[in-house]
Amino acid sequence: MIKNLRARLQPSPWLAWVAFLSIFLIAGVVGGVIVLWEGLSVTNLTDLIPWGLWITIDLSSIALAAGAFSLCAVVYLIGLKKYEPIARTATFVGLIGYSMAMLCLFMDIGRPFKFYQAFIYWNTHSLLWEVTMCVGLYFTVLLLESMPIIANWAWLRARFPKLAAKMSRVHHYAPYLAIAGLFLSSLHQSSLGAAYGVLKSRPFWYKPEMSVLFMLSAIVGGISMTLLASMLAARVTNKAKVKDELIEKLSQFVGWALVGYFYWRFWDTLSMTYTYEPGRTEGLHLLTKGPLAFNFWFGEILLGIIIPMILLLKTKTRANRFWRMSALLMVVGGVVAYRWNINLSGALVVLSYLPGQPTVSYASYTPSLIEWMVGLGVIAYGFLAFSLGVRYLHVVDHDFVEYEHVEVGRKIPEAASA
Amino acid sequence: MDKTINRRDFLKIAAAGTAAIAGAQIIQSAEASSGGEKGPHQWAMVIDQSKCIGCGHCTLACQAHNDISPEISWNEVLPAGEVDNNPVYLARPCMQCENAPCVEVCMVGASYYRPDGIVMMDYDKCIGCRYCEVACPYQARSFNWSTFDGDNPAVPEWGQPEVDRRPRGVPEKCSFCYQRIDRGMAVGLIPGVDDDASPACTVACPTNARIFGDLNDPESEVSKIVRSQPTVRLRDELGTAPRVYYVLATPDDFAETTS
Repeated sequence: MIKNLRARLQPSPWLAWVAFLSIFLIAGVVGGVIVLWEGLSVTNLTDLIPWGLWITIDLSSIALAAGAFSLCAVVYLIGLKKYEPIARTATFVGLIGYSMAMLCLFMDIGRPFKFYQAFIYWNTHSLLWEVTMCVGLYFTVLLLESMPIIANWAWLRARFPKLAAKMSRVHHYAPYLAIAGLFLSSLHQSSLGAAYGVLKSRPFWYKPEMSVLFMLSAIVGGISMTLLASMLAARVTNKAKVKDELIEKLSQFVGWALVGYFYWRFWDTLSMTYTYEPGRTEGLHLLTKGPLAFNFWFGEILLGIIIPMILLLKTKTRANRFWRMSALLMVVGGVVAYRWNINLSGALVVLSYLPGQPTVSYASYTPSLIEWMVGLGVIAYGFLAFSLGVRYLHVVDHDFVEYEHVEVGRKIPEAASA
Repeated sequence: MDKTINRRDFLKIAAAGTAAIAGAQIIQSAEASSGGEKGPHQWAMVIDQSKCIGCGHCTLACQAHNDISPEISWNEVLPAGEVDNNPVYLARPCMQCENAPCVEVCMVGASYYRPDGIVMMDYDKCIGCRYCEVACPYQARSFNWSTFDGDNPAVPEWGQPEVDRRPRGVPEKCSFCYQRIDRGMAVGLIPGVDDDASPACTVACPTNARIFGDLNDPESEVSKIVRSQPTVRLRDELGTAPRVYYVLATPDDFAETTS
């Protein structure tokens, strides 16, 4: 037993990776306990900026999980069956993304142990009610969609073969689950933008195109995240096998989707305010020439949209795995930058309520150490969950055929041979 | 796979779902935009800027009667510039908006309209997401970031606590001292006339800069002022329809003291 354990603990890249993630996970758990014990006073959030780093992580992980609904729709509704292996990866990435978001929200709300009340007490007029319901239901859909994936776990198949077989069979309902997923995702991905877009008190957010931008950036970022994760896994471990032509084709789609996203973002940002409007103009200035300018021009526009757009649309660079991976990574970074910028540019501008035309002042916000500990802990959890999936659940394996399919396909040859 | 869904089925399901949700939303929107059910009383406050001397007694009385942590405040008194070299102040309780953004955005319905127009908080329902705080144009919400378990420095000098302390992690707000209104009316007192039925800040104000009363009663002091004098409501252009009216200071108000 001990010998066995010692053999297992031989230094290996896998163990080093898990140890590395564990450092962040432990820091995250410590931070989390402190937050639950002391309350949100340990954060640098204020009454003026009540939403900060955690909301960015939460919004980003939901956006980067959007590959699940987009690719499941492509496979099961549009019927492009050849992308099914990628949809499987996307589903798993989606499951991780949503669980990350929920973890982060759990830390972020003032009364974490009352979180279930969000499902009990309804104000159907609230966008966050809709988001809560959709996220809750969609997480259930993702869990069901992930059943056949979890059933691939060798240990589970050996120990509980009947249960594993049952879980595999959920695969038959994939088209129905894809409809539910598409429906719930389109609702809440856009509503997360609308949650900002309906707030009259913050002029920089108060605009209808927030929903469109959240939706578009989620589709672009979500598919990129899935493709990037697949390629990265295939590069570092032989447990992951990809069909490069599938990834390349979808990358081209991402390239074209970036064109659409670029158009909307450009139009949104630069045509938004021509005449001075209190709060809104200042918000734009924060983005274009204020403290967020580097994030905006460099992180969001240049690295997040323009460069990957060119890299993914140009046949030569798209065919090159290094350039393709870099481009996908940039898109993912750009979507995170967008969520960070949009949250802060609206919140940092404070409008006065004194009689007369509102005057503008600025708040400031830098996340505290504990916010970073918890935030990085949540991200480390995401990496660890995906790594375990690649290692044990065939999450990235384009040659892999679901057990259910094998069994169905085997029946006829068996009869013939007998 | 033998179970497939054709495009028509998909569209049918999607359309039915969308219609159901849209319907529910429209009905809800209609309810929300009307500002809730209206009762026989509509409480309102007039704050006369020309009388306010910025002493902050209203805030202290508020801290005591509502047992608020010294770290936060439901009622701010802000410097609001000068009129003829005389400093003027703006006292800001919750505006008790008729179309309150905080009520409309609250996902659990913890913020709600009372029939008498007070925007109330059900602190037991609240999960502390702070969406109301982001939505309020008046910064009238104060989140209690840490537990308040010490002594209240405003007690007993400025009054005795009349309501329970809130749990940690909820955005607190002014309630026009609903407890004083309700308890006062139960024994036949008239809010705005009798001190024991009026908000603590109104009672504590040494210059009577705050006037409280029923907008539905044409003979109440607030109705008379709103009818006869020019008043402003803060950020009125947003359409929130606040129930706090301000009489602005003019150079005439300082004519006697300066001359």
